[in-house]
Amino acid sequence: MDVVLARNVIKTYRVGVGRARVREMIPSPFDRAIQRLFPDWWLRDTFNALDGLSLAVPKGSAVGLVGHNGAGRTTLLKLIAGVTAPTAGAITTAGRVAALLDVTAGFHPELTGRENLYVAAGMHGLDRRDVLARMDQILEFSELGDLIDTPVKRYSVGMWARLGFGMVSALDADLLLIDEVLAVGDAEFQRRSIQWLDAYKQNGGTLLFVSHNLSLIRHMTDRLVWLDHGRVRADGRTSDVLNKYARAGERRRDQAEGRNRQTAQRLMRANGLDRWGRGGVRVAEADVRQPDAAVRSLLVTMKYQADSVRRMHFSIGFIDESGFEIGSSLSPEFYLEREAGSVCWETENLPLRPGIYFPVLAIVSPEGDLLDRWKLERAVVFDVNGGADVSAELGPAELGGTWIGES
Amino acid sequence: MIARLWRRRSLALTLTKRQYELRYRQSVIGLLWAVAAPLATLGVATLLFDRVLGVDTGGAPYPLFALSALVPWGFFASSLTFGVQSITQSGGLVTRFAFPRAVLPLSMIGTAFIDLLISCGLFVVFLILSGTGMPSSALWVPLLLIVEIVLVVSLVLLISALNVFARDVKLFVPIGVQLMLFVTPVMYSLRSVPESLRPWFKLNPMAGLVESFRQVLVYGSAPDLSLLLPTILITTVLFGFAHWYFGATEPRFADVI
Repeated sequence: MDVVLARNVIKTYRVGVGRARVREMIPSPFDRAIQRLFPDWWLRDTFNALDGLSLAVPKGSAVGLVGHNGAGRTTLLKLIAGVTAPTAGAITTAGRVAALLDVTAGFHPELTGRENLYVAAGMHGLDRRDVLARMDQILEFSELGDLIDTPVKRYSVGMWARLGFGMVSALDADLLLIDEVLAVGDAEFQRRSIQWLDAYKQNGGTLLFVSHNLSLIRHMTDRLVWLDHGRVRADGRTSDVLNKYARAGERRRDQAEGRNRQTAQRLMRANGLDRWGRGGVRVAEADVRQPDAAVRSLLVTMKYQADSVRRMHFSIGFIDESGFEIGSSLSPEFYLEREAGSVCWETENLPLRPGIYFPVLAIVSPEGDLLDRWKLERAVVFDVNGGADVSAELGPAELGGTWIGES
Repeated sequence: MIARLWRRRSLALTLTKRQYELRYRQSVIGLLWAVAAPLATLGVATLLFDRVLGVDTGGAPYPLFALSALVPWGFFASSLTFGVQSITQSGGLVTRFAFPRAVLPLSMIGTAFIDLLISCGLFVVFLILSGTGMPSSALWVPLLLIVEIVLVVSLVLLISALNVFARDVKLFVPIGVQLMLFVTPVMYSLRSVPESLRPWFKLNPMAGLVESFRQVLVYGSAPDLSLLLPTILITTVLFGFAHWYFGATEPRFADVI
């Protein structure tokens, strides 16, 4: 049985505010009539957040959603949650759907945690008695204690997340939609939430999970759907799709920029986090070559463009899929005579386990100031080479060594 | 829509309760506002319309005359003023939960209704103080109340939905309510209106309502059907339109809000 069934779903948004919004006040029959009369004028400035998407989620599965900004992940979750309706196509769900679409979870800042829980439970069709019966469970999960009777405007972001998750955990949902909420809490909260989600899955619950944290995706889901411009680009075993997705990084961005101005702007803002530095010199281009996905050798070429600086160190480092910084290699001080040129870094055997690694390129002054730092969007993927991908293995480093057994 | 709402009535009640608590939270005199507001209006109205202008009340004491209309008017005015933003203010709920959106304006009307009950109590106190007592024609009140509630629900559904798409509505409503007070015989009597203008007043459903309330509560006679029937007719048409419009635009609220 499919808990979610989406067939050729299209969701069209009007771009812009003001006039575009006022148009929405015209009910559909009239809207369609005007559309027929003035097709060119009426439909201008729309974009399809979902563009003919079809998806079936069977009961008991845990499905992850990845995709770059504007790919349609959040729109899809909102449609499944029933918050908004598709423009065309059909989407059906079975059973009780609980959604945690963001940290604020729709809580009213002036209401206390407890009052917000009553409202949220009502939204999910439970009444006050149901909440009262589960209050202990929620309190235990959220660890809010007496703060449950404080207006949530005095809560920290982590406390909002705990309250939201506590609420969801008490809803007895058949389908759970979670969008980037686990990232907010502290490590202990994350651990408990993941533990709870694991138990939820074991009991036959269905999970749809969106996160930028690829290692959480890897842990939480067994199937991964890669959304791209409102369509399913890849759908399959989590580790397979994850590898494809991580490798595609850079190329996707170029295409997005050509296609949609709004998406491109959002991406540029996102890039602000991926790139900073004092300037004077910058990495103009980077080329990461991996001769064979199964072999851990890399050739990285960095083209630089220098304005004023001549003396500098280059550096290359790696971040794993959960954002953990693994290590780096710093070059000796280079004196560069020309304004533009390139440097290379080569390695035969990186001591890293199979996985997804994001290169971070940097240029540092001799005094140690960071001049340019650039986290590449396109990852390096080391595939499993014959051996098993055993989850008992810890962390990204491949420590090697020799094992001797007594017989 | 109505069946769907009925199934979610416990949500509507929860929201009404929260809404009501929120309104008076961190206010010093709290619930007394429900009494203070009509009393203050009554005081000023008595001074201005009774003492200064000497409005013709048909022999009834002015405070009773004015309060019989001020009470239903207060329900109308506060429903509209608070109701217009009921959906936009709860954007957080609209964009995160699937529920019949109409519970938001309805729960706002619910809070105004609680105020209405309190001010009804105030009116009864005035009746007793003035020594007239409750006339038997007061049995009309439930019917009049139902008409008023349907009218208010229609208007609030309409303006709260429109306000999602154009926030001009929330800017206009306070002015609109104020202007309507001038053309509704709340502080004066329809009798004082020149004969030639009266047909126009009948187009205002609130005029028919407050005059009828006054008729049955102060003068002790049945409401004037030539006033009440147009009101019922207009209210019915308005409700049909509001019901259709809200249902047609409701699915888009989350996209636009």
